[in-house]
Amino acid sequence: MKILSLSAFLLSLKLSLVGVVFSLHISKKAEREINKVFEIDNATFVQTLDQDIPGIDKDRLYTIFDQGNALGFAYVGEASSQTDTFEYLVVFDTNFAVKKAKVLVYREDYGSEIGSKRWLKQFLDKTPNDRFAYRQNIAAISGATISVKSMTNAMNNLMISLASWQNNGKPNKS
Amino acid sequence: MNFQNSAMRQLSNLENSENRITLGGYGEINFNGYDGKPNEIDVQRLVLLFAYKFDDRTQFVTEVEYEHVKEVYVEQAFVNYNITDNLNARAGLMLVPMGIINEYHEGPTYNGVERPSLDGKVIPTTWREIGFGIAGRSNELSFRYQLYAMNGFVSFNEDYVLRGSDGLRKGRQKGAESVNSDINFAAKIEYYGLPNIRFGLAAYSGKTQTTDLDNAATQVGLTMLGADYRYTKGRFSSRGQWVKTSLRDVAAYNTAGNKDLGSTMGGYYIEGAYNLLPLTNRQRLDIFVRYEDFDTHKKTDGGMMANPAYHRKETTVGFSYHLAPGVVFKGDYQSKKTAASDDVVGQLNFGVGFFF
Repeated sequence: MKILSLSAFLLSLKLSLVGVVFSLHISKKAEREINKVFEIDNATFVQTLDQDIPGIDKDRLYTIFDQGNALGFAYVGEASSQTDTFEYLVVFDTNFAVKKAKVLVYREDYGSEIGSKRWLKQFLDKTPNDRFAYRQNIAAISGATISVKSMTNAMNNLMISLASWQNNGKPNKS
Repeated sequence: MNFQNSAMRQLSNLENSENRITLGGYGEINFNGYDGKPNEIDVQRLVLLFAYKFDDRTQFVTEVEYEHVKEVYVEQAFVNYNITDNLNARAGLMLVPMGIINEYHEGPTYNGVERPSLDGKVIPTTWREIGFGIAGRSNELSFRYQLYAMNGFVSFNEDYVLRGSDGLRKGRQKGAESVNSDINFAAKIEYYGLPNIRFGLAAYSGKTQTTDLDNAATQVGLTMLGADYRYTKGRFSSRGQWVKTSLRDVAAYNTAGNKDLGSTMGGYYIEGAYNLLPLTNRQRLDIFVRYEDFDTHKKTDGGMMANPAYHRKETTVGFSYHLAPGVVFKGDYQSKKTAASDDVVGQLNFGVGFFF
């Protein structure tokens, strides 16, 4: 697999999530969270894609490594809240099952309830074959409708994009 | 704008992140059909929202409101400074966190053409005051908090203004050249850690404001407590609210001003709604029923007889047809009675509301 064969070289460069798209603040938060999810200290990251695919920028999807072993994937997305945007992190295992969904940065008060750990748990263990629909299989939060719908749609679109990518033969699951 | 996929939306958002100004708005245009008096058609409110982001931590939010076309108010105007993920400092003209509607009052967010009457006579929506304080949340514990020091209702502004029929409503200062003699405190905590339901508990405490600092009879003390819930599961939704206001030194105030202010006011409403359309539809057609029971003369002081006409019982039955997220067409019938007689007064309402 191309990614893994490159990994030793890339690891030596100690690439981190500091990309062009995210501020240092966000990437540090994301790194901390990813380390926590896998109970490791120094996850390293390699861009999973060498070019954008429909629905996913190459700058937003990373393969997570610990000491040369691929542990999973991390996606950092952005979605709309009422008057602003927020960043979220989705951590997947190597089979693209969700291990963690977290709101990294939320910039306004209105709708900030979606950061609730309890609410985000609804996405756990879901895979690209799952679909999410507001009020159907994803609970509403009264008073945070705009952000709840926005996060639900973002997660749904992410799964659709990942599924179509997988169906085109990628990634090569190892 | 319609985005074909998340990436397009995200890219658009990335571009917009340079765009520091947000515009929004909401409003309601209503028809009220009365028994025995002329009907009314009104642009009840049209509110324009502006937000400006100075940097990632510092934001200014304001809502400019036109009521009945010709009255202009500033409904909110505050600066929010984000200190940490869990803590914001705020100052300016802010909504008082009490009950549901005072903070969440955009037409598509509630059922009924008119706001619940409890949110008018007891919680005088839209209730806003100038002050400062902190607000924030905990993602771990799924709760949100607000704590503000604020200006309060005016009870005497060259004349006595509070009265029995609607309690504190005439005392709202709306941030316009407001009289300040005493500081008041408002707090609310909300818990949303259980699936589908959200609870709120609010408290407000202090003293009314007066222009006659030497006359103690021009002021009353007050404590307001509120509890509310909102539940949504599948096609069913429900909400309810309870509020109780206790006033002090009311007898002296009523005597000095020849007023009939009650010393305890309060009540509740409870509402259930069911969406007739499948959840997969983009549109929603909620039918609902709401029952309200509240009294602005729950208790009176100084030997004053409670006025049974101030004890209202209202039932509202109707529908909210959500044409698109953010646009609603509403219709309902209200039957209102008081403890003073068995007569029921009917009212038919239709309205359109929007929020973007």
